[in-house]
Formats: sequence, C-alpha cells, structure tokens
Amino acid sequence: MNAIEIKGLVKKYDEKFQLGKLDLTVPKGVIVGLIGENGAGKTTLLKAILNIIQTDEGTIKINGRDNHEEKTKENIGVVLDNMFFPELLTAKDIELAMRGIAKNWDTELYYNYLKEFSLPLDKPLKALSKGMRKKLEIATALSHHPDILILDEATSGLDPIIRNEILDIFLNFIQDENHTIILSTHITSDLEHVADKIVFIDQGKIVLDKDRDELIDHYGILKCDPDKMDQVKKEDYVCYKKNKYDVEFLVADREKIRKKYRDFIVDKMTLEELMLLMIKGVK
Amino acid sequence: MKGLIVKDLLLIKENIKQLVLFVLVFVFIGLQGNQILVFVPAFLSMMMFLSTFSYDDYNKWNSYAVTLPNGRKNIVKAKYIASIFLSLVAILLTYLLVILFGVANHNLNLEETTATLLGCWSAIVLLQSIMYPLIFKLGIEKGRIFLLVLVFGISALIGLLFQNIKVSLSSEVIHFLDNYLLIILPLLMMIILYISYKVSAKIVQKKEF
Repeated sequence: MNAIEIKGLVKKYDEKFQLGKLDLTVPKGVIVGLIGENGAGKTTLLKAILNIIQTDEGTIKINGRDNHEEKTKENIGVVLDNMFFPELLTAKDIELAMRGIAKNWDTELYYNYLKEFSLPLDKPLKALSKGMRKKLEIATALSHHPDILILDEATSGLDPIIRNEILDIFLNFIQDENHTIILSTHITSDLEHVADKIVFIDQGKIVLDKDRDELIDHYGILKCDPDKMDQVKKEDYVCYKKNKYDVEFLVADREKIRKKYRDFIVDKMTLEELMLLMIKGVK
Repeated sequence: MKGLIVKDLLLIKENIKQLVLFVLVFVFIGLQGNQILVFVPAFLSMMMFLSTFSYDDYNKWNSYAVTLPNGRKNIVKAKYIASIFLSLVAILLTYLLVILFGVANHNLNLEETTATLLGCWSAIVLLQSIMYPLIFKLGIEKGRIFLLVLVFGISALIGLLFQNIKVSLSSEVIHFLDNYLLIILPLLMMIILYISYKVSAKIVQKKEF
C-alpha cells in the first residue's frame, strides 16, 4: 500500500491559478521533496492532502483511505508554515491540550524531544526564536506516533546548523520503513542530502517526478558558446537557457551526451540549477 | 475536543483570575445599592472568551486544528462548550456570592438577583448564538463589525416597531409570562444556541482555511 495516492486532483482558484490536474504516488519509506517557485502550488497541494482546502476534482488516498476520513488524520504529523498554536501558549500548555486531542499522544516522548532539542517548558511561543519554534512544532508533530510527516517549508528561514539538526530528525524518523515524509522547500540543497524522490511543481502542475539518485547521477548541464548552440540537437536536451556569455542545456543522460559532444563541457547539476533551468529555460 | 477546550481556557487563564476579582468587586458594589450591576462579570467573561478567537486568527490556529483528528467538528464544539462553561461559572459564582453577602447582611433579594442573572445569561447566549456563526464565516475582525451593525440594526428596528404599533398584552399573557418565564427563557435560549451550533458546524465543515 502506498502512503499517499493522488489521482486527477484539480483545485481551481481563479483564471490565473489552478492546481493540477495532477497525479502523485508516494510509496512508504521514502522522503519526498516538493520543489518549485513561491506560488507554484506546493502549499496548495499539501493543504489539499490535509483536507484544509476543498478540491474540485480527483481523489486523495492516505494509507489506502480517502483523505476525508477522520481516521487518516491520526497517522499524520503536520508542520505548516506559520500555522500553529496561538503564541501565548507554552510548550507545557501545548502538551496539556494535545493530550486531549490526539489519541496516540505520548507525553513522555514529547518531553524527551523537548529535552533533546533544549526547548524551554514555560516560555510562551512568541518568546522563542524561529528555530526553536520550528523544533517545537516538529516535536508536537512527532509525539503522537504518526507514520506520515507532512512539512511545509519546515527549514526555511533557519540557519544551516539548525537545518542540519532538523534534517537529522527526519532521517531518524524515516529509519522505520513504514514511515514517510513529504516536505516542501525552496532550499533545494537540503533535499540533495535527504530526499529519495524529487517532485517539481511549476504553475500548479507536476513537471518532474523522479528519484533523486537518477537526477543527481544522470542529469547534467551542457555548456557552450552562444554561437555554437545550433550544434546541440533537439532530442538531446530537456530545455536550455541563454546567459550573457554561454548557453546551458539541461540533459537527461549526462554520460551519453558527454561522449556525443566531446568538444563541450558536460557537468553534474545541482537541484537549484535544475529548478532555474526548468523555470527560466526554453524547450 | 477536550484538548481544544483546555487550549482555550489556558489562553485566557490570566483573565480568568481577573474574572474572580471582578465578580467580588461587582457583587460588593451591587449589594451597596444598585443590584443590577451584578450582571457585569458574566458579560466580561463573554468578552474575555472572544479574545481567544483573535489569538486563533492571528496564528492561523484553525488551519492547523483541522489537520488534527476530528478537527473541523471539534473546533466548533469546543468554542461553544468552553464559552458556555465560562459564562456559567461567572454567573454561578456571582449568584453564590450574592446569596452569601445577602444572608450576612440580611438584605437578600433572591428573586431580583435570579431574574437579573437569568436575563443576563440569556442575553449572553443570544449574542454568542449570533456572533459565533458570523465569526466562523467571516473571521473575528469582520465578524465583529458585522455583529455591531446587526445588533444596532435589530435594536433600532424593534424600537421603531414598538413606537408605531401599540402592543397590548392581555393580563393572562402577562400572568403566564410572570409564572413561567424562568423556565421558558432558558429553554428558548438552548434551542437558539443549538441552532447556532448547527449553523457554525455547517460553515466550518465546508470552509477552506
């Protein structure tokens, strides 16, 4: 059974923006990274999965059940961007409330996380730094033993050290092969470390859905002078982008292209370069 | 749902402490002469509870809450139960103190206090019943403005109606109301509250957060 299965999902907002139609399957035991520009539809997709917004078409299944079934929510831990308990409350207050909200709430586990993350018990949320708040949100999400974690921009605005700590928490969580994580971010370097699968959303549509290893090991960038760009055949690249002094082609099979175009440079590519090329590039 | 009620009460725990103080002060003032003032603490409790909606809105709590098990149902239920609980506590506390002081001072006027507090509770329930669906639909900021317009509108309308139409209640009706108002009023309010709850639940069930 897949952790999440989305079929034919459509969410219409207005003439300018529509999410979908899209299909997405997330198997158990993986970390899926959602990337895309601001406003591309990442948060909308996550909100649709969580049933925060209503969808117009399509079905979303979580652990094989329709996402409207309340029971599905018992298995999901959520960290959203700027949506959490009112900031007058303290970590202790949140524990008292969650005890009466989540069925599988584990007080001991929660307090262990607080200790591990060095979070204060009696300070209101508004007195915590951004990093501490995020860690508290993650601790809350993890303390009712979910098997799916859904995180929207959980690492954005945080320094590299805290980001690294948080990514370690995720890697720890995913040790259990029944556990799954979907995280959206525009800090693509984070995903290069942890994600198994990369899903790229642009203007409400999934434009790329691939294993990270395939992207990192096989995709590449071919660079050449603008006056030589005609030599690169159309079937050999995904898209290209003209810069001031060179042209960059995104290629799907780096080694093959390297052998074919021996005069040009063919390099490995980062997810950030991939994102830039796919959004700014021409097909 | 219990957790959501706990969350709301924790949010205003400082205010609840102040509320006890208000009850003491107003019962004391009330018993000096103007007994009608004993309704003030209960009204304050209603206003205090309203602030939980503002805190929720500010941190987009509802978006988070709907991702929790039975979230949509429970955010509505919890608001109704917590606020009724709070106003009942305020009213019962006031009632108790009035009786205590009254007995001590030998000037207990139970009938008037009962009528005042019951009237007050009914007014609170009526206001909450109109307010909550509006807040769930429009958010606390717009809901508040809408409520003001509504309350003034209705008051003005009733005022105008009664000015132009002479209402003559027969002595039987007055007699009936005199005897049974204490039973009819709470029952009527419960029905209104229930309808209001159902409307709010329906609004939240479909709402996008």
